[in-house]
Amino acid sequence: SFALLHVAVQGTVSLQCSNVRRGFHRAALLRLASDSKSDTSVPPPSYHEVHTAGESSSSSAQGESSEDAQPNTSFQDQSGEHGEDYETEEQLQARILTAALEFVPQHGWTVEAIAAAAETLGLSSASTGMFNNGAGDLVLHFVAQCNAQLAETLAEQNNQVQLGQAEAKKTAEFLKDAVETRLRMLIPYIDTWPQAMSILLLPHNIPDSLKHLSTMVDDIWYYAGDRSTDVNWYTRRAALTGIYNTTELVMVQDSSPDFEETWAFLDNRIKDVVNMANTAKQVQATGEAVVQGLMGAAITLKNLTGMNQRR
Amino acid sequence: MHRFVRPQLMLRDSKQPLLPRAGHLCTNHKSVVSSVRGYVVLPPTSDEEEKAMLHRMMRVDHAGEYGANRIYAGQMAVLGRTQISPLIQEMWDQEKQHLRKFNEILAENRVRPTLLLPLWNIAGFALGAGSALLGKEGAMACTVAVEESISEHYNSQIRTLMEKDPEKYTELLQLIKEFRDDEMEHHDTGLEHDAESVPGYQLMKAIIQVGCKAAIYISERL
Repeated sequence: SFALLHVAVQGTVSLQCSNVRRGFHRAALLRLASDSKSDTSVPPPSYHEVHTAGESSSSSAQGESSEDAQPNTSFQDQSGEHGEDYETEEQLQARILTAALEFVPQHGWTVEAIAAAAETLGLSSASTGMFNNGAGDLVLHFVAQCNAQLAETLAEQNNQVQLGQAEAKKTAEFLKDAVETRLRMLIPYIDTWPQAMSILLLPHNIPDSLKHLSTMVDDIWYYAGDRSTDVNWYTRRAALTGIYNTTELVMVQDSSPDFEETWAFLDNRIKDVVNMANTAKQVQATGEAVVQGLMGAAITLKNLTGMNQRR
Repeated sequence: MHRFVRPQLMLRDSKQPLLPRAGHLCTNHKSVVSSVRGYVVLPPTSDEEEKAMLHRMMRVDHAGEYGANRIYAGQMAVLGRTQISPLIQEMWDQEKQHLRKFNEILAENRVRPTLLLPLWNIAGFALGAGSALLGKEGAMACTVAVEESISEHYNSQIRTLMEKDPEKYTELLQLIKEFRDDEMEHHDTGLEHDAESVPGYQLMKAIIQVGCKAAIYISERL
């Protein structure tokens, strides 16, 4: 049975999968499986390419032990995803788009970048047909990815603080760091980012891009410690959205080393917002004091005129 | 004597305190925010529609309690120096407790408060003060009308949750039932204190209740 195993392995190693060879080594594995079920030297079925699930799943079901048969996809998985279960279309799309980011500096935020990525994954460039929104899908995927990364980073920092391993930052500093972290993710793509921004502003992309933006701003404020349930909820998020958008615009035309001017701009904007909040508090306190003064005067007047009797 | 209930001490039917557990209060994030109390009111869910429904319910309830607060504040502003004032103050304090509870729930579950809060602030105060200008009977009539609307609203929420899944929403149902009972108490108190003797009682009640229904409708959506 070792000889059979050797032939089976050789059949596996060769990249061209002809039906005959496939049938042969699958049959061989079946024999191996039935000969020595506990023989751990049998290579797991995932180490050979099984492509068409339809024809083979029934016959090789026994040989494939616990492994699910690969879905009947139109591509050949030559990278050998070992132990990979059924991949949904969404996961596949995500993989392609992530790979496409590498080609963005070269092709820009376009369908060409997606096509180039598809080819490196061993797919035909016609798989860009999966993406109805073309470049929009690519940009939105990137934005979602960055936001998820930011949320993870903020959650991790939050954990650190809760465990007492790190100091809690003041709000202004926290906001500055969070926005800077998020904007730094654009640096590898900063040359083509204006194109991406204009794609995000296309009418059919606006709902999604707004949703991503508002989720990101909500995340940042949540981890900054905002638990307000009044109109402050709205004013704070509006303020941060403004800060983020203007800083992003400054960043795409910033040519200073390591974007120093951008971070200085960001710092100033956050200081402005904090100042405004403090001023608003002061105005409110003054207003309340004035009202109390007036009430005092009114009560004195009522006392003097004898109107202040208990009913 | 009015029953003074602390909403924080809500226990399950067995009257055993629940074991403290760190609940996944926000399903978007991996970090676990541990609850200060021993339980979680809104059940964690990954179903977007269910989450939206729960958030909508909490949003409108929060707006309702906020409005009720402002109504009592308006009534106290006018009637604060009369004999009825301790009663209104007590009812107001209970509403403050309700509002505090909803503030907690909104903060923990990252629910967006309604955009119209400033509007309810002014409208509630105006309604409270306006009805109080009709005297103590007017204030009581306003209380009766508003509390009846709120109780009806809570009842329909209870019905919705019971239809869906009573087991899953046990804590939430308990909370809403308790608040509904408090509001019914306020309603009965208002009736006891000559609400019906205000001139134009039926008309006033009808107008206020239509207003409440509209407020609930808008707050659910905005």
